[in-house]
Amino acid sequence: MFFHNFKYSLKTLFRNKMLIFWTFAFPIILGTLFNMAFQDIEKGEQLDIIDIAVVDNELFHDPSCVLFRETLDTLSDENSETQLFQIQYVTEEEASELLSKKKITGYLVFHEITTPQVVIYQNGINETVFQSAIEEIIETNQIFQNVASQKMQEFAENPEGVSGDYNSWYQEIYRGIVEKLENQNIQIRDTSSSNLSYTMIEYYTLIAMTCLYGGILGMTSINQCLANMSQNGKRISVSPLSKGKLVLSSALASYITQLVGLLLLFLYTIFAIHVDYGTNLPLIVLLSLVGSLAGLSLGIFVASIFKTNENAKVGVMISFTMLGCVLAGMMGITLKYVVDKNVPILNKINPVNMITDGFYALYYYDTLDRYFFNVISLCIFTILLIGISAFCLRRQKYDSI
Amino acid sequence: MKNVVQVKNLTKEYKTIRAIDDLSFEVKEGEILGLLGPNGSGKSTTINCILSLLNFSKGSIQVFGKEMQPNAYDIKEKIGVVFQEVAVFDELTVIENIDYFCGLYVKDKALRNQYVEDAIQLVGLEDFKKFYPKQLSGGLLRRLNIACGVAHKPKLIILDEPTVAVDPQSRNNILDGIKTLRNQGATIIYTTHYMEEVEILCDRVIILDKGKIIASGTTDELKSLAKLEEKVTVEVLDLEEKYMREISAFKNVEDVSYCDGVLCITYTKGKNNLVELMDYLKKERISYNKIFSERPTLNDVFLELTGKELRD
Repeated sequence: MFFHNFKYSLKTLFRNKMLIFWTFAFPIILGTLFNMAFQDIEKGEQLDIIDIAVVDNELFHDPSCVLFRETLDTLSDENSETQLFQIQYVTEEEASELLSKKKITGYLVFHEITTPQVVIYQNGINETVFQSAIEEIIETNQIFQNVASQKMQEFAENPEGVSGDYNSWYQEIYRGIVEKLENQNIQIRDTSSSNLSYTMIEYYTLIAMTCLYGGILGMTSINQCLANMSQNGKRISVSPLSKGKLVLSSALASYITQLVGLLLLFLYTIFAIHVDYGTNLPLIVLLSLVGSLAGLSLGIFVASIFKTNENAKVGVMISFTMLGCVLAGMMGITLKYVVDKNVPILNKINPVNMITDGFYALYYYDTLDRYFFNVISLCIFTILLIGISAFCLRRQKYDSI
Repeated sequence: MKNVVQVKNLTKEYKTIRAIDDLSFEVKEGEILGLLGPNGSGKSTTINCILSLLNFSKGSIQVFGKEMQPNAYDIKEKIGVVFQEVAVFDELTVIENIDYFCGLYVKDKALRNQYVEDAIQLVGLEDFKKFYPKQLSGGLLRRLNIACGVAHKPKLIILDEPTVAVDPQSRNNILDGIKTLRNQGATIIYTTHYMEEVEILCDRVIILDKGKIIASGTTDELKSLAKLEEKVTVEVLDLEEKYMREISAFKNVEDVSYCDGVLCITYTKGKNNLVELMDYLKKERISYNKIFSERPTLNDVFLELTGKELRD
């Protein structure tokens, strides 16, 4: 009878047009819209490689300017996908002439050590980027200089203090620099996932939304089993099929249907709109499976505790999920940061954010600590909701139906 | 005959309302018991209590000799229920719906297929097997509702107002189907507020009002509770007051009324009331269009006992 109910639950779910729209079609439509909207935004926001010149004088080759030379080399590396500048090393006269002919955006000249001058012809985005980059290098260089000088002075004043242990001395200098950099609010980020764009967060929330929308399937299935929720529930409740078998088989059918919807979304986004989810496919699948389970448990929870009609419950599910998506960054990542900063507990208990953040962690962090934190959080969320639902569903008789 | 259902002192309260008030009755094996009463009299609540769907404040319910419990699966597999509201899946066809509900009781696939075919035949849905519920008329939908409830050939069938809002053809089909089920050995509890159905179908009737049994017995036994024996109706134009007075003086006449060209005479008992009246009309040369006699109905009994109509 378990399989019998499972089979027919699958049939009813797959033939329910409203459910199929919300769980299969709606995420795909939304994904298509994201693709259309963000593709253009990303194109618009891609920076061209900026032509600049550096005056190749004696001061530029001073040892104290090594950070400038190294950084500019990195930023102008033609083999790098993050190349920002195309640099010509010229004399000051040549640089001035190139600028007047508008062949470069600006040039950098060292008249004093460590405080180069940026010369530009006009104001614009490229000029601003050029200036900002040089200012950033100047600030960082200053930090290095300050920390190193301080340590050198300490060493000069008390040479025995290091006791010949240069390693610990270097480490101390390093710590000092890191500390200063942190105080300067400069973040060091791992950008090794070269294809990652901020719009990926939209796709993460889309997957999270699909996982949670699957809850509508679970909710509908469970509603059909409860005597106080539907006429079919009354009829099924007077049959000799136990409530445990009934709920489990219906929930399993909902989960399978939900996973089919998720699979379709993955296939569509990967093959039709070419979203790159990276290389951690098993972990992505694991997070999606756990996320779907969380969605299913949410559906069962809503079905069990709200004593209202099915349409109202669908409304509750959709509202909850959409709100969760918005807070997790679907309508702009800024809101996610605002919530993280001001009301962090909200995102800690938001299942959409748990899923989104799990994906996010896979790309931004080398370790899986944050990823597994989210997976475990989702498991706790699921167990909690299933527990409460089971408590409510254990009732066999009702005061009124 | 054994008691299939035994209800003792059943009381069910909803906050301030007592829906069932110390109800006791039994259903004998093989009989059709009619639960008759107006809307809100407690028929459906009684059914839901018997099926262990509702909590109740007091009393006990035994089905097939055992205490009825929500997890009494051995009892439940012998029961078939047709609720007042249609309970089918819109996403499944007629045959799938019947197979699904039958499958909750019958595991054997081959046997189930046979049962499903029998149920389709019973309610006359042979031409609609592949139809979805939305494609069916109200009457056909009701027939499907019944097929889903009885396909597994239960020993006890509970039908809660199965003919509400049904066309005459479907109603006849449903009533014939119920008779067939009884002939096949099922015990049936049939709730309705249509007294004609009860008269046609039921071996025994319980009349409920405000959660209490106000009368019970066979239809003839119940009718004997009514003071009137016969009601004669005559369509006659311009009847003078003196004729009314003379008719009122006839033996056994309980009441005479004349309204909108219709003369209505009720008799407490007696024979040849109609012949006597026709002779009188002939003698007085009173012309009339139609004249007919009626035996008292269960509605008259209900009116007699409660002062209101069954369909109020």
